[in-house]
Amino acid sequence: MRISKWSEKLFGTPLFEPLVAFSFLFPLLYLVVFLIVPVLAMLFIAFTYEGNFSLHWFKSILGSSYYIQLPPQGDFVTKQVTATGETIYLIRGIDFGVIINSLVVAFFVTLLASLIGTIFAFVMARYDFKGKNFFRIALFIPLLVTPFVNAYVIKRMFIEYGLVNFILHDIFQIPFRIKIDGLVGVALAQAMAYYPIVYLNAYASFINIDPTLEEQAENLGSKSFHLFRTVTFPLALPGIAAGATLVFIFSLEDLAAPIVFHGDPLAKKLMSFQIFSKFISEFGERSPEIAALSIIMLTLAILAFLGIRKYVSLRQYAMLSKGGRWKPRVSDPRPWQKVIIYVLLLPLLLFTIFPQIGVVLLAFSKQWSVTVLPHGFTTNYIKEMIINPDVRRYIVNSLVYSGSAVILIILLAVTSSYAAGRFKGALSPVLESIVILPIAVPGIVVAMGYFYFFSNLFPNTILDPVSITFNPAFVLILSYSIRRLPFAARSVYAGLQQVHVSLEESSLNLGASRWKTITGILLPLISLNVFGGGMLSFVYAMSETSTSITLGSIAIEKAPITAFMKDIMLSAAGSVNIAAALGVLLITVQIISIVVVNIITKQRYAFIGLT
Amino acid sequence: MVEVKLKDVVKTFGETVALKGVDLEIKHGELFTLLGPSGCGKSTTLRIIAGLDFPDRGEIWFDDSEVTYLSSSERGAVLVFQNYALWPHMTVYDNIAYGLKVRKLPKSEIDKKVRWALELVKLEGFEDRYPTQLSGGQQQRVAIARALVVEPKLLLLDEPLSNLDAKLRLEMRSEIRRIQRELGITVIYVTHDQEEAMAISDRIAVMNIGNIEQVGTPREIYEQPRTEFVASFMGKTNVIPAKVVEREENKVTVEFESFRLDGLTYNEKNDNVVIVIRPERISLHPIENAVTLTGKVDLIEYYGFFIEIVGLFGEKRIIARTISDKDIKGLKPQGEVTFYINREDILVLPRQQL
Repeated sequence: MRISKWSEKLFGTPLFEPLVAFSFLFPLLYLVVFLIVPVLAMLFIAFTYEGNFSLHWFKSILGSSYYIQLPPQGDFVTKQVTATGETIYLIRGIDFGVIINSLVVAFFVTLLASLIGTIFAFVMARYDFKGKNFFRIALFIPLLVTPFVNAYVIKRMFIEYGLVNFILHDIFQIPFRIKIDGLVGVALAQAMAYYPIVYLNAYASFINIDPTLEEQAENLGSKSFHLFRTVTFPLALPGIAAGATLVFIFSLEDLAAPIVFHGDPLAKKLMSFQIFSKFISEFGERSPEIAALSIIMLTLAILAFLGIRKYVSLRQYAMLSKGGRWKPRVSDPRPWQKVIIYVLLLPLLLFTIFPQIGVVLLAFSKQWSVTVLPHGFTTNYIKEMIINPDVRRYIVNSLVYSGSAVILIILLAVTSSYAAGRFKGALSPVLESIVILPIAVPGIVVAMGYFYFFSNLFPNTILDPVSITFNPAFVLILSYSIRRLPFAARSVYAGLQQVHVSLEESSLNLGASRWKTITGILLPLISLNVFGGGMLSFVYAMSETSTSITLGSIAIEKAPITAFMKDIMLSAAGSVNIAAALGVLLITVQIISIVVVNIITKQRYAFIGLT
Repeated sequence: MVEVKLKDVVKTFGETVALKGVDLEIKHGELFTLLGPSGCGKSTTLRIIAGLDFPDRGEIWFDDSEVTYLSSSERGAVLVFQNYALWPHMTVYDNIAYGLKVRKLPKSEIDKKVRWALELVKLEGFEDRYPTQLSGGQQQRVAIARALVVEPKLLLLDEPLSNLDAKLRLEMRSEIRRIQRELGITVIYVTHDQEEAMAISDRIAVMNIGNIEQVGTPREIYEQPRTEFVASFMGKTNVIPAKVVEREENKVTVEFESFRLDGLTYNEKNDNVVIVIRPERISLHPIENAVTLTGKVDLIEYYGFFIEIVGLFGEKRIIARTISDKDIKGLKPQGEVTFYINREDILVLPRQQL
């Protein structure tokens, strides 16, 4: 056999090996065909007007005061007096136009989430205090995804007679009530849901700082805040920034909060909601304006993503540890720090986990209207969820789609990790980047890309969303498998890095084939990572919203649960309690998965990351 | 048993040239060592022989067949990795049996061979243990058994002793030698430890930055180093830059500082030279017809079973070694000392270009 120059160049193997080539080409082609090409198809449509290349759609968007409104309009706070003479301050935010609103909301969500997340991370990483384990568990609760329902509970927390006013007005006797709605409501709901993402990333950064670096600084006379500002914080910053970027992208693409707050017209003036509502209000071919708006949103998300990648790669501080065990720097808090922990952080934590508690209460409540807590409890909604054949069908649909997607995800994650992690070909870095790219592509953009892609390339087939024969199963499985791939890919890649390459080389060297080496040596050694990654992907596939509530709700028979939950939220008639019951189901699946994964793989914090 | 030939093997990794045209011939049943500092290319050479890396240019031959681009699994040159690379999810038995299972041998045959291998490395009774339940030395034995059980044409050992403590290292060293003699197998051994290489090898190739500097028996390498690098790499030695000032046929007179040494053998053209003197070949007693160097005592260092005297000759330090306490009587720091060296113990080598 002669060596193959192009195999060496592309795959890093001088001898052409079909299995290695497959490991490169399968995930690469899959992502190109089902992620890049649909986005390009949308790009093509966005730049086409009356058959020619044109900036028409972008001009019409960017030139419209609906999308960019400068100076902004409206009052941030308005004062209302009710018939009973009570004063209510209504806080909604001001209108900068759709595009700037999205950016402003995402900016403040990121700021708030980063601040809270970093404070919690620092306290958890550096102090020992009573109740720390409660904090540790509670900090995961906001990460439990219950699409729409938790945003719904948050909305209720901020109404005139909700939890916030109960605390401020009824307990602390503040002489007025506040109501939060519109963009401010959306931002608060997102910040409460997303701050644990920063927390996890920041926590990992804090505990990964070599303690001797801080000890040396102390030894040289630095202490307390100076030490934090000059050594600790800069070293943790890449992790914090990575978490913050994720929050920024998540906020930008979030549909659940705007849909829940859509009663206030201001909450609709966000890019994600605009794309969504234009999509569902039109029939047949959609206006290219949607495509153009999607491209604008994608550009913003990708810029944030590339920015953070560049920044983090520039600040890869190699911790030059020379052996020795790390003694974690954990100390007892001083009295004033205890005050902060118990008087400030604990109530804040309880406040942020209330939405998830509220979802459970809602699922079991008989009546819950203008009171802080529900009146009377019932299991009827849980029963209905199980008995009602319609609801059961949605559950089965979701299970089937997510399960199928996970099979694809595992195949993609294993092949791409193996190729990118073991071989140094020209395609390796390409593959490494493209596998985490789905994080940076907003779900609604994937949905729109698929819409244009499949309706133009496969007209009048079951893949064509415009056709009456459309079956969303295939499209949703594709979308889930791509959008949730990064979770599993990260996990598998991390496992692969733990396995020394000589274990595989010695197998090859003893005469085993590549296939035998992968199946007999590598896969058994990384099986826990594959399992853990698969579970996480499954959990997040079950709660996927963007494609599920757009393409997924076209054929109602084949819709997944999130599409059904969206319908409840958008129509006044549906039962929110049933949606909450589905939320409880999702929470249960997530808790079980996360506990199982943590027990089996002994990996904590392997949830969401970016780098 | 196999004879291995490397012909002009070149290997680059990106910009760095790891091997700059390596030629080697390794004979049947020989224990051949690649010796050199880290980064000299010795492990790369071994991996290329194992088929885990492929050269950019050049050929590798096993007996009469070219194997340059044969994949590792087809080559039959089995490598024992520096970290042993035992599979943690398999027992000792399964680790050793792996290569036989790959070859689809019948179960009874596998069992017989595994027992033979376990006996060979003296690990009977450890079949059901997992690698993590073994000590470093035992893991090493499993790795060797796993390699030998497939009856390889060629056994490759990559720094096999570097992860063991000093005592175990000596034990395993003679163990490897014993097994090699018992099986009469060709072994290529990689190490950076010159003492280890001397003790175990039939022949040694000393490597430096991608080149073979010298090939020879341990004695040849130690006593007749052909380059400055080989001389300085093989144990503690005095390497003193000097200049040829007179030539007469193959005899030269060299000069360093204000010292002149005449009647030394040197055939090369280059006048920039080093003189190499082994510390143990320097006498503190007068010898007839010897070269004498008189300088100051700089240091006297006590090592237990020998003593070193560091003499200062102008700016140059020269170390002499003795095992006799009597030799240092009367010597004290800053005092005068005279070194006596036979002319045949002084090697003159061309100075290496950097």
